[in-house]
Amino acid sequence: MAKTPATSRRALLFGTAAVSTGALLTACTSNEPKNQEKAADNAAPVADDKPGKAVTIGFAGPQADHGWLNAINDNAKNRAKKYKDVTLEITEGSNDTAQQIGQIETLINKKVDVLVVLPADGKALTQVGLQAMRAGIPVVNLDRIFNSPQAYRCWIGGDNYGMGLNAGHYIGEQLKDKKNAKVVELAGLDNLELTQQRTKGFDDALKNYPNIRKVARQAADFTVESGQAKMSQLLQAQSKFDALWNHDDDQGVGALRAIDQAGRDDFLMVGGAGAKSAMDAIKAGNSVLKATVLYPPTMAASAIDLARALGQGKGIGGLAEFEIPSSLTLYSAVVTKDNIDQYLPTGFI
Amino acid sequence: MASPPPLLTMSGITKSFPGVRALDGVDLEVQAGEVHCLLGQNGAGKSTLIKVLAGAHQPDGGEITWRGEPVSLGSPIAAMRLGIATIYQELDLIEGLSVAENVFLGHEPTSAGFVVRGSAARTATAELLKRLGHSEIDPARLVGDLSAAQQQIVSMARALSHEVRLIVMDEPSAALDPEEVDNLFRIVGDLTADGVAVIYISHRLEEIRRIGDRVTVLKEGRSVAGGLPAKSTPTHEVVALMTGRNVEYVFPERPKVEFAAGREPVLKVEGLTRRGEFAPVDLELRPGEIVGLAGLVGSGRSEILETIYGARKPDGGRVLVDGTPLRPGSVRAAVRAGIGLAPEERKAQGLLMLESVSSNVSVSTLSRFARAGWIDRRAERAAAHQAVRELSLRPDNPDAAIRTLSGGNQQKAVLARWLLRGCKVLLLDEPTRGVDIGARAELYAVIRRLADEGLAVLLVSSEVPEVLGLADRVLVLREGSVVHTADARELDEHRVLDLVMEGSPTP
Amino acid sequence: MTQPATAAQKEAPTPAAKSAGDKESSRRPGLRWDIRTLSLLGVLAVLVAVGGITAPDEFLATNNLQLVLTQASVIGVVTVGMTFVITSGGIDLSVGAIVALASVWATTVATQEFGFAGILFTAVIVGVGCGLVNGVLIAYGRMVPFIATLAMLASARGLALQITDGSTQIVTVESVLDLGARDAYILGIPPLVLIFAAVTVIGWLLLNRTTFGRRTVAVGGNAEAARLAGIDVRRQRLYLYLLSGLCCGIAAFMLIVLAGSGQNTNGNLYELDAIAAAIIGGTLLSGGRGTVVGSVLGVLVFTTITNIFALNNLETAVQQIAKGAIIVAAVLVQRRSLHGGDA
Repeated sequence: MAKTPATSRRALLFGTAAVSTGALLTACTSNEPKNQEKAADNAAPVADDKPGKAVTIGFAGPQADHGWLNAINDNAKNRAKKYKDVTLEITEGSNDTAQQIGQIETLINKKVDVLVVLPADGKALTQVGLQAMRAGIPVVNLDRIFNSPQAYRCWIGGDNYGMGLNAGHYIGEQLKDKKNAKVVELAGLDNLELTQQRTKGFDDALKNYPNIRKVARQAADFTVESGQAKMSQLLQAQSKFDALWNHDDDQGVGALRAIDQAGRDDFLMVGGAGAKSAMDAIKAGNSVLKATVLYPPTMAASAIDLARALGQGKGIGGLAEFEIPSSLTLYSAVVTKDNIDQYLPTGFI
Repeated sequence: MASPPPLLTMSGITKSFPGVRALDGVDLEVQAGEVHCLLGQNGAGKSTLIKVLAGAHQPDGGEITWRGEPVSLGSPIAAMRLGIATIYQELDLIEGLSVAENVFLGHEPTSAGFVVRGSAARTATAELLKRLGHSEIDPARLVGDLSAAQQQIVSMARALSHEVRLIVMDEPSAALDPEEVDNLFRIVGDLTADGVAVIYISHRLEEIRRIGDRVTVLKEGRSVAGGLPAKSTPTHEVVALMTGRNVEYVFPERPKVEFAAGREPVLKVEGLTRRGEFAPVDLELRPGEIVGLAGLVGSGRSEILETIYGARKPDGGRVLVDGTPLRPGSVRAAVRAGIGLAPEERKAQGLLMLESVSSNVSVSTLSRFARAGWIDRRAERAAAHQAVRELSLRPDNPDAAIRTLSGGNQQKAVLARWLLRGCKVLLLDEPTRGVDIGARAELYAVIRRLADEGLAVLLVSSEVPEVLGLADRVLVLREGSVVHTADARELDEHRVLDLVMEGSPTP
Repeated sequence: MTQPATAAQKEAPTPAAKSAGDKESSRRPGLRWDIRTLSLLGVLAVLVAVGGITAPDEFLATNNLQLVLTQASVIGVVTVGMTFVITSGGIDLSVGAIVALASVWATTVATQEFGFAGILFTAVIVGVGCGLVNGVLIAYGRMVPFIATLAMLASARGLALQITDGSTQIVTVESVLDLGARDAYILGIPPLVLIFAAVTVIGWLLLNRTTFGRRTVAVGGNAEAARLAGIDVRRQRLYLYLLSGLCCGIAAFMLIVLAGSGQNTNGNLYELDAIAAAIIGGTLLSGGRGTVVGSVLGVLVFTTITNIFALNNLETAVQQIAKGAIIVAAVLVQRRSLHGGDA
């Protein structure tokens, strides 16, 4: 029994250590930058600043488990804040189809004026889109398209094929004087249709440049970890190539890490979708990443604009028609060092 | 100095498990240096008692003193520290570890407190094995590769690896050949000469006579006699102590006319054998006849039934139904030929516990109610209902959930299954296990009625009165061999117990 | 068997018989171990041959060896922990989620202010903490490991998402990043590979040479027998999940070094990869037998397959089909050689 005091002292020490560790760790979950102001929200000009009829917009999106989706949510929220006449009813993001249907039905019951929906699964949520439209609530369908045009008043989204196309053309122009140029593609999650569309656009663009050959393609899965793993294998497989297109700037963080670790800088890299880290790298110009092809998250801000216009019965400026178009496909701009300042404030915070 | 206190005394030990009172006041006194034998039928509480002694179960009441001091055996470690080692019949060794690792499991020789000194453990194990006369067992071998007898030796080496004062041996000779038993007794003799006490559990009275000093008899969780001289107490007295019953069984009358006599046997077993389980068995079963297999646990009763049923593949011999030999080791063949089995572990092996009575009854005959895979539920239910009614199963509702039924009615559902299938031979393994006394009589009546209707029944039970009361003929098994065959009316309980324990019929 | 027994008994004291016994003792368990490992080495050799033939210049290069080992190191460390848990008859489905949570927690802006030590400490402590919760729930809360660790999987992933909000947390601490750079290689060996090797060696020693390992095997082989032998089975279980959590914490730190960032999607499906590698390696899913070397070889087989596919520029679909086929083939080859050895 002589052990008891020692044991209890040890227990006490351990307990204290555990508690203070816990306190320290809890403090460590903070992600607020200390000495850095949160960059300006999307500074793109607001469509129509004049306040009009008050509009309540319901917004339902998927769970923001990816940087791009996170940017979508921020864009929507910040845009809505800019308008004094807009109230945003935003739901907890969910990847569960049934849950998202429930959330949208709740918004319908609350009789919001307009709905903005980024479905977790476009096909599966078609019914609830129809339901809202029948209840007289116009739906702005964001990016992932519903099965039926009756389920939305207006669709706005990115252009995956166009992304590939523009990436291909950019690389093609950069390499057009080079004989036997080699290109490598780091795709996103191969199970997704959008990945296939991006690759198709890329391949179609490259057909215009007979001097360029795509020598390798591997698919990562939009995660940093997979980007690092697949890119390091690609670098091992291809000891010499001239350009790389990476579908997604989030996995690009890993890809850049792999390139860095392999000590390679003999090629040009083009990113995809757009992310803050990629924009910073392009602006700094000290890495292989020279450009990225946008899949602009600002579409969420535009969706809020469209929803507001629908709610107030207005059109959008610059077009002859009084009505808002039923479909808007956004252009996948190529962001380079030359034009980056124009894009930096548009949601890449 | 006065005479030293006994090494161990246990008094008034009680222990209950949900629904069972396993120990109901057990007294035991063991002196240093003696071989104290523990006797009792299956379920008398021997296993529970030795687990209490090993610190694996905590008693609900009673007192334990060790060398005159009251002690509590709160954990296996506490018991080991006192010097109590237990050699279990099973559950004891870990097959994926080597002999030496098993022997020193839990108290490995170490450096720095956690690095096992494997060579030290192997050397010490080799010493122990040598002492046990089995230096041919390699301490580095995996226990899973050893024979049952060798594993027994390893268990013993493990017990001796502690500083022991008391060794509990639960049927240590069950897996041993005669020569090895001699070796075992030599070891026991050496131990007691050193002042170590041994609690020896065995069904073999002749062994108890040879090495035992005193005997304590357990019955239904109580010690009914303690400290009897092992060498001089007559066998019949011991058997009477073990069996004295307060419950009378009601058995149905046997048919007056010898219904079965003269009919062709429906089931014939010729020289059926499985190495290590049972010696060649011959038996014949006629329609209308109930034949009982009496024997202790481990005498090969259940194994014989399961081999006839095709669930175990025989090493030799054959099974014929109506003169046609069955494909050995095929349950499908046996069932197709008309054999049905009500297994020992009713809940684990016999019933779909989450289903209704109806699905349980119809499960062996489903194809009869199915068209292109679709089950005609109404026909299924009606047929099940009919079978259930014939056996007067309560409640009279085929939709009742089987798990809500009593043990006796669950057993009837198993019987109804074979009745519906229309089988000719019914193999019953412990049909009344978990069935309360009152419901047994009804079950016996059902079994007899099925026999009267022309079914042949082969019955296994560890309760001797049940075999004697229900069967027409009895085969007595001892260690895998049939030692006696007789008309049930010519036998009584003492006689059968003598046979299963001693192996030779006493006049 | 009585005859040889008595014969050996008589001969036992003679030195000749003793040395014969010793020889056997050193050979027999070794043989068993070798057959499993050799068959897996055989699979690996076939893969190396395939790699060498299909992509001779790229596959057989030194830097490819460094690459394969680096890619194997993170999941390898997780698999060592998993091997212990499976050997004890348990399962840990939460390893991937713990890696994600630890890697995310250790790369927040607040944590990064504490530099290298802060990141390492946080990753390890978060891993151990999650393991502690698993262990307490399973050992003392008597929850089934499958359910307890499934719950941990869900909550740890959720917490990781909440911390990051889905964004990628870039590591700015140079000393951490440098550990993954080429000039940090020690005698041509990447530091991550060294960590992996150290964990493997320690794991092997722990399983094969210590009371802890003995008890792990005993609990997995027969928990009741272990209890009767005086082992505190519950405490052993607690320690095992703690160990798995610790391995996850180390792996999370390694992943931070490798990817230069923390993300809530890290460690995706690690649980399945780790279980598959352990089983292929020869650890019994039902417990009672485990091999750290086998598990590590299992991980190397997987990583080599991925590497060969990438070097040959195969499509994702083909990769997945072939991976499944190779798992089945590896297990079949192993079973055959094992049964051949036993018979």
